[in-house]
Amino acid sequence: MAKTRSCDTELKAAFPSIVQEDVVHGEFSHFLVSKDLLPTITRYLHTQPGFHGRLTLLWAVDNRPARNTYGLHYLFTLEPSHRWVLLSTELAGDDRLFPSITPHIHAAQWYEREIRDMFGLIPQGHPDLRRLVRHEHWPKGTHPLKKDFPWDHALGRQQGEHRFRRIEGEGVFEVPVGPIHAGIIEPGHFRFSVAGEPIMQLELHHFWTHRGVEKLFEQQTLATAVPLAERVSGDTTIGHSLAYCQAVESLLHLEVPRRGRYLRSLFLELERLHNHLGDVGAICNDTAYALPHAHCSRMKEQIMQLNDRLTGSRFLRGVTRVGGAGLDLTAAQLAEIVAEMDRIEQDFSELESIIAHNASLIDRLETTGVLTERTAWDHAVVGVVGRASGLDQDLRRDRPFAAYDELSVKVVNYRYGDVRARMRVRMDEIHESMRLIREIQLKIPQGPVAAESGRRAQAGDWALSAVEGWRGEILYMVMAGENGTIQRCKVRDPSFANWPAIQWAVIGNIIPDFPLINKSFNLSYAGNDL
Amino acid sequence: MFRILKKSLKTGVVTGRHPQAIQPSEPLTPEVRKKASAFNRSLAIREVDTGSCNACEMEMNALTNPVYDSERFGIHIAASPRHADALVVTGPVTVNMERALKDVHKQTPDPKLVIALGDCAINCGLFKGSYAVTGPVDRHIPVDVRIPGCPPRPADILKALTDIQERA
Repeated sequence: MAKTRSCDTELKAAFPSIVQEDVVHGEFSHFLVSKDLLPTITRYLHTQPGFHGRLTLLWAVDNRPARNTYGLHYLFTLEPSHRWVLLSTELAGDDRLFPSITPHIHAAQWYEREIRDMFGLIPQGHPDLRRLVRHEHWPKGTHPLKKDFPWDHALGRQQGEHRFRRIEGEGVFEVPVGPIHAGIIEPGHFRFSVAGEPIMQLELHHFWTHRGVEKLFEQQTLATAVPLAERVSGDTTIGHSLAYCQAVESLLHLEVPRRGRYLRSLFLELERLHNHLGDVGAICNDTAYALPHAHCSRMKEQIMQLNDRLTGSRFLRGVTRVGGAGLDLTAAQLAEIVAEMDRIEQDFSELESIIAHNASLIDRLETTGVLTERTAWDHAVVGVVGRASGLDQDLRRDRPFAAYDELSVKVVNYRYGDVRARMRVRMDEIHESMRLIREIQLKIPQGPVAAESGRRAQAGDWALSAVEGWRGEILYMVMAGENGTIQRCKVRDPSFANWPAIQWAVIGNIIPDFPLINKSFNLSYAGNDL
Repeated sequence: MFRILKKSLKTGVVTGRHPQAIQPSEPLTPEVRKKASAFNRSLAIREVDTGSCNACEMEMNALTNPVYDSERFGIHIAASPRHADALVVTGPVTVNMERALKDVHKQTPDPKLVIALGDCAINCGLFKGSYAVTGPVDRHIPVDVRIPGCPPRPADILKALTDIQERA
């Protein structure tokens, strides 16, 4: 705690003009900063050794109806202490320019382009001002998250073509891939520039599945939006619904009962398990080693069927609600889960030794798709991918939520940043999740699973929440409106932070290895595109 | 080698170890039956995601796992629409995917079936009305078979697909 205070004082000493704000919901330091000071202070936070700030989230709010301003908010995680620092600035209603921080913080590049598309605010000095979310056929002047843009507006169509970065020269050619791929996966476009086999450049062109999720949140109320959060990215049903519910609970000053918090951790670990099991198999399958894939998808199916038996949903839908868990599990059901874990752990350990003894498989995975620690840090990579590149971060340990303050999570960390490291992080996390589930069964207290709140959220009040989903950190910012409505909801799936990094991990690799590298990242398109 | 054999013998056959389908599937119209009869007992599917949350994709992927093993019914996934007999479309059709969906439909050789998988593809689900959604699927291309659910369970999908193969 003393350390935090010293960080705050140090920051205030370095920049006397900033104003510290009181924080109502959650634990972080909040400062008001003038717009001109933003590049300097963000650079200071990012590079100063004592701070080592990682850009965690950047979002904008259209406050024009009430205050005639746009709000911009920059959230940093100070790596040594995992403390959050939030910088806020306001743009007067007719001011549409703000200084870009991308020239010295790479991680901001997509956030700023997203703000430009959704709000029409222009990041001055941004090196790449092409459209991101809005494809080129969207008419000029459509900025969906502005308050005066109707949510059910029918978009027209204009002429336009996306301009890719081009490399020209003898023997250099482009390979376009997507948006519809050969496997059963989501749509996205990849543009490779190659000379012979090795990839010289990869450029992503995503946001094909943009459904207007953040605008749809604004049509919901705080109490009814959970099903929408569950469908932001289907494979992360619990992660997203939990992050949303936690934000709303802070707004309502609602304390979740201990049993409810344990159940939430349990479901989150079950979700991590079935996704990691599927990924380990799929990575092997992309090297044409089908046997582990068959075994892993069988084990994944066992967990999905277990989910279905316990909750009536294979994806655990409907088990998270504002105030706690949507259902309770009996002691017999908890014992059933643990028995299933024991069986699958034994099963999986046998498979692991088969995988480890296959030299040709390991040879294919090692040194493929290396994401160095430096690149991972520069792009503020999170989750499994970050932990495979030596970034020691896991919200379950760093900012405990649900029941993780009472459970000891061993954070897996590898340094090499190649496909094998990402697979090993998943393998180790499978064991860790099973151990956590056993610990939960032993420690889970009796009592109610959910609490109600008589309080109403104040209009304009907002809260942040963070959950370590199976992919990485999921962030929500929920701002309440009048009478329990939602004024603004910012959703950040870990995929949004990690996608740009893949462009650096593939350089120098051959195109046939790209599916393997992509699988080892396994990012969501739906969660990224929103 | 010995390790692999031991593992396979220990695991045994898991195919078919899943709960039965519960969702009653919509009966097929005679026209669809007639169209489907050309494929006999083999169905090559191209899956197209036009904005789903990826839960439907996960369940389609589950069809190829050893438990459901759709290949034993002659149902397999084609890598290109040009090799496909049927398109399985998931998700409400987003503004950005509308063109791609129409292109894929054009590229699929006739006769072809279009299967709308999941509530979003059938009626846009929770995303109905959004500025970024132009769906449902049958607004853009003719739909022959509908498989409801959010997402439908693999057993239900398998039942609906094998229904198509049945002779009139």
